Amino acid sequence: MILFLNQLINGLHVGSIYALIALGYTMVYGIIKLINFAHGDILMIGAYTIVVTISFMGWPIAVAIIVSILACVLFGVVIERFAYKPLRSSPKISSLITAIGVSMLLQNGAQLIFSPNPKPFPILLNAPPLNLGPLQISFTTILTFAVAIISMISLQGFVSTFKMGKAMRAVSEDMDAAQLMGINANHTITATFAIGCGLAGVGALLYCMAYPTVSPTLGSLPGIKAFIAAVLGGIGIMPGAMLGGFILGIAESLTKGYISSQLSDAVVYGILIIVLLFKPAGLLGKSVSEKV
Amino acid sequence: MTTKAKSYALNIIALIILFALLFSLTASGSINNYYSGILVTVGISIIMTVSLNLTTGLLGQLALGHAGFMSIGAYTSAIITRNLQGIPFGWSLLIGLIAGGLFAAVCGFIIGMPALRLKGDYLAIITLGFGEIIRVVIENTSITGGAAGLTRITRMSRAFSPDAQLSSAVQMGIVFWIMVAVIASIFTLGRSRHGRAIISIRENEVAAEATGIPTTRYKLLAFTLAAFFAGIAGGLYAHQTGILTARYFDFNKSIEYLVMVVLGGMGSITGSILAASVLVALPEVLRGFASWRMVLYSLALITMMIFRPMGLLGTWEFSLSRAWQCTGDFLKRTFMRKERKPKLPFVPHYDVWEDAPVLETHDLGIVFGGLVAAENINIRLMNNEIVGLIGPNGAGKTTVFNLLTGVYSPTSGDIILLGKSIAGKPTHEITNNGIGRTFQNIRLFKSMTVLENIKVAFHTRMHYSPASGIFRTAQYTSEERGMDIRARELLRVFDMEDVADANANSLPYGKQRKLEICRALASNPKVLLLDEPAAGMNPIETQELMETIRIIRTRFSVAILLIEHDMRLVMGICERIYVINYGREIAEGPPDVIANNPDVITAYLGIPEDVHEERAQHAEN
Repeated sequence: MILFLNQLINGLHVGSIYALIALGYTMVYGIIKLINFAHGDILMIGAYTIVVTISFMGWPIAVAIIVSILACVLFGVVIERFAYKPLRSSPKISSLITAIGVSMLLQNGAQLIFSPNPKPFPILLNAPPLNLGPLQISFTTILTFAVAIISMISLQGFVSTFKMGKAMRAVSEDMDAAQLMGINANHTITATFAIGCGLAGVGALLYCMAYPTVSPTLGSLPGIKAFIAAVLGGIGIMPGAMLGGFILGIAESLTKGYISSQLSDAVVYGILIIVLLFKPAGLLGKSVSEKV
Repeated sequence: MTTKAKSYALNIIALIILFALLFSLTASGSINNYYSGILVTVGISIIMTVSLNLTTGLLGQLALGHAGFMSIGAYTSAIITRNLQGIPFGWSLLIGLIAGGLFAAVCGFIIGMPALRLKGDYLAIITLGFGEIIRVVIENTSITGGAAGLTRITRMSRAFSPDAQLSSAVQMGIVFWIMVAVIASIFTLGRSRHGRAIISIRENEVAAEATGIPTTRYKLLAFTLAAFFAGIAGGLYAHQTGILTARYFDFNKSIEYLVMVVLGGMGSITGSILAASVLVALPEVLRGFASWRMVLYSLALITMMIFRPMGLLGTWEFSLSRAWQCTGDFLKRTFMRKERKPKLPFVPHYDVWEDAPVLETHDLGIVFGGLVAAENINIRLMNNEIVGLIGPNGAGKTTVFNLLTGVYSPTSGDIILLGKSIAGKPTHEITNNGIGRTFQNIRLFKSMTVLENIKVAFHTRMHYSPASGIFRTAQYTSEERGMDIRARELLRVFDMEDVADANANSLPYGKQRKLEICRALASNPKVLLLDEPAAGMNPIETQELMETIRIIRTRFSVAILLIEHDMRLVMGICERIYVINYGREIAEGPPDVIANNPDVITAYLGIPEDVHEERAQHAEN
């Protein structure tokens, strides 16, 4: 039972990180129907920014965190502007390949600047763990969970109440119609990238607090996991991304705890395949058949 | 035929020259082991890319697990050559490669069956999932060496001759000819009726099914075949490097090949060859830039995609014989082949009795969730009759068509075509049993030519197998010629022979509609369903269309059921009319009766105000 609860807590910890990153994936997919393969690498940008600002320049932690999130936003917006925007009217697969190219560029650029050797991630907080009887919950876990939940709730609120949020929903529904209603689609897409990449920045922070080494390929694993989480929940649907993230995190840590850590990937993919076979548009997605 | 023979001869001569050049340069050491190694890697990548192009380019389905099949082939063949020490290496390699390909194909078939029901990005992610599961399974199996992998696999470059240089040349020869065989197979397959069936799925899956193509079967065929070739490529890779680790075949590898396909141009085999060569060679060329090279590589990739979003070559194919003709017709007619008699698509024989209806529905209906989209539809179509199906917008007319063609399965009632029940059968079977249809929004196979559009509809009435398409047997030639003749005949009836070789997409609107009718007729239906054929036509075009419909009826001896809003057309040519509203049949009869039927007028125009008031008062009293 203790093992189970411990793994469950671990699962919620990892799952909330996946959910945060998956949100960014899903928002971008929802609006331009692009699987942004570079999304995971934005995470890496955020992580390196923290390493540079804190370990090398000795900035205060709060400033460093804000700077790193801003760096993620900046990269996201610039990438969208220069790499994806020219391809908006091209076939989807061309943008997909460009996204793969951007991902390679970011990884190899980081490798060029920071060398392939992993760097330690600075310790940001040192608080005693919470003891609940035999259960020990680390402060990082609590913080991660809280940050993730707060971000998700505020994002949901933003999308449903604010003007820009509504514009995002309109553009993802039908870009042409939204433009005819006077919505500036370009601005809306930029804003979506900014928010999605900002979330990735937060995700980077939380991810590196859990796994404190930073390398140029840091983002590819959480990136692909988050993508799977997004698809699992129904890509393009925000609550789906959160649900998918948590399911993935919990499944992964339970497999690690009870079966074998080598098989955790297989279990994750297995769940994905089974879900897609029975619900082809993900858990919360509605499959729309083509109108004849 | 002579031009075809000439082009075969040209291609074979060119290949032999290229091979002789590469072989002698490698054997003599002018191409050293390092470069010949790169050439072999290029060859293997070309096999991977061209085969992935079969699923992604021709079939149009995004698959991200291609490296998984490569790993299956690699491990299978490595384990086989390791355990077959008794026989010469050449033979065990051959057995290993074929077994690797076959096992990969079996896995492809098993994975494809459930996975190919998904589309687009979902198919991409599920194939990625399967690819990764293959990797994890290999990493956790003992026969494959687990995570450490297999080492000391006999290397082709060492095995054939004590002379290292000569052995490298043999290795290159093996990869070269296998590559040529794979390219040629996919090329010829793409130009056979099976290839057309596969491409028609990419172009428009709904229309392909309605033209009689069993789409599920062809998706599976393309996917399995691609897995087979990937397995062979894997076997070559295993015996090139001598070492296998499962990690090498992760999803990044699949993505690498996908990049090559898209960069070359989806559907262009020449493009795949070019892109695979460029992308394998580019990092080697950039080696001088040391740590900058991968950065430059990714920048090059992004730039190429932005400036050529359709890929380097789009769907263009290089043809040696065309190039040859451009520089002048040097080659005399040296080959004279006997003309084989063309085999025409047979005309199905339909048993039609004088008084029996060709198509009849009994209380046909469908419920979506709680919504009754159609109920108690009783339609009866006699031979050679032109019948209209009308009703206000949203009345359920197209739903009836979708029920008749099996796009939807009815939840109640039955459909009898020529005395046999067809309710619930898949669309392609219904098409082959004698119902052809057109669509409200035109669904052509846009990037195929007019002629090819028609040929897709002949598909099920021809017999040659995929293998005879790949090897271009006599059966292939005679049947293809037969299809050509019939298709042109059909186009002549509609005055469209002059545009036979134009892309369907480039036709003006009216001709696209005509082509759709043509395609439906090519499947040789007994009943033709036309869904708003006059939509978007001007009065003169509509007049022409009426003529065309009359010609079709007499010439092709079909019964026609048409949905139309243009009342002049409906009243002008229909012998009987069914009216439906809110999914129910409200009237049936000849045009003049229908035009004066009060229920019909109410359905279209609503109830006049005074009548409405009268009724209301009546209800109050």
